[in-house]
Amino acid sequence: MENLIEYAPLLARGALITVLLALAALAMATVLGGLGAMGKISGGRIVRLLVFGYTTIVRGVPDLVLILLIYFGGQRLISIASNAVGLEYIELSKFWSGVVAIGFIYGAYLTETFRGAYLTVPAGQREAAMSMGMRPVQVLRAVTLPQLVRFALPGYANVWQVLVKSTAVVSVIGLEDLVGLANDAGKSVREPFLFFTAVFFAYLFFTWVSQSIFNAAEKRYALKEHGDAV
Amino acid sequence: MKRIILAALAASTFAAAAHAENVNICVEGAYPPFSWTEASGDVVGFDIDIANALAVEMGMTATMVKTDWDGIIPALLEGKCDAIIASMSITEERKQVIDFSAKYYNSPAGFIGAEGMMADALDGKVVGVQRGTIHQDFMEGEFPNVELRLYGSQDEVYLDLTANRIDAAIGDSIAMDDGFLSTEAGAGYAFFGEMYSIPKYHGDGAGVGVRQEDTELRDAFSAAILAVRASGEYAMINDKYFEIDIYGGE
Repeated sequence: MENLIEYAPLLARGALITVLLALAALAMATVLGGLGAMGKISGGRIVRLLVFGYTTIVRGVPDLVLILLIYFGGQRLISIASNAVGLEYIELSKFWSGVVAIGFIYGAYLTETFRGAYLTVPAGQREAAMSMGMRPVQVLRAVTLPQLVRFALPGYANVWQVLVKSTAVVSVIGLEDLVGLANDAGKSVREPFLFFTAVFFAYLFFTWVSQSIFNAAEKRYALKEHGDAV
Repeated sequence: MKRIILAALAASTFAAAAHAENVNICVEGAYPPFSWTEASGDVVGFDIDIANALAVEMGMTATMVKTDWDGIIPALLEGKCDAIIASMSITEERKQVIDFSAKYYNSPAGFIGAEGMMADALDGKVVGVQRGTIHQDFMEGEFPNVELRLYGSQDEVYLDLTANRIDAAIGDSIAMDDGFLSTEAGAGYAFFGEMYSIPKYHGDGAGVGVRQEDTELRDAFSAAILAVRASGEYAMINDKYFEIDIYGGE
């Protein structure tokens, strides 16, 4: 137990990396998911085909394979490119490789989440708004988006929780996230059980915090019926 | 006057240090006593001490790059580091991808199991081994009738041995002695059968891994290993961690 206390600052550093990595990856996944959903809904044939290819391939490839491909394969591409133009060795960041890999994967899942949420908003509402003379941007902001957020939130929360756990794969490229550091520390003092138990509770804590945040968000965006006031 | 000389001396050492070429060395950090992670996050152990001693011998400065075992060869190939010093055994298979210096230590492989276990009773038993190691190749080649269970790390092997999920484990004798048998968890377990050192599987010991095109660096490491052996530097590091000289036969 004193080993755990001794290594606590190190583990806290790892937990911070895990949280930052997850948040940055979520931001990227949200942007990709939004673009992907837009492409699937209103893109031309080529755009739709591209998005279809993206969601199909990415959702079918294990996280581990993709992170290795991006970090080591990406490094090779950069080395070849920088050699060709006579530049010095450029180091690909472990953190951003992890963000790109995980953001790229979960962008594909969010594409489907957002698309599903968009399709749940009845088309008649958009048509009604258009017929009142609202411009497409106004329709999106005033009619579609507020409802889309409400429909997308449960799926979004779900993707987030899976994303947090999948950040653990980044330890394979030597990024010192919570799982990677706990693994090293546990083996170093030969108490792997103790350290993995600590990791277990840390992840449970992440889940609990994010659950509370999403519950609050769902309440905020919940439909307020006129009858509620009575 | 004295102060001026001291200042000049300090300045010249700094200048020398600034000019010394740096070598990035991939180390693992989860394989005590060769390499483990301190609470500060620093990696220490026999491998790291040897790495520093070799760099000093070569007139270079060493920067340790902590790398997961599964990604350590790709890290070398993609230039994340210039050398691997992570108790990596020299094997023909690895030599197809990277190159090695001369060995810096060679320890035999052995079986451990509950006290009283016999080697001839291994058939039909389950033996745990770390995945992707020379010990796995050895078991597959010499003990085809023994069921193998593969693990990502040596510590997972110990966990399952004490949980009775496996009957025995095979691995490096030093790593298992220090990492398991001499710990609390290892009470009631012991080596059994012979110690093995078959070049076909166990290779020529652990060497410094370098990229195939870096022959100069490889030869510099080989020469530095012999030099620290001769100077007694090696013995000093060795005695810090082990009772026996782990360099093995000359």
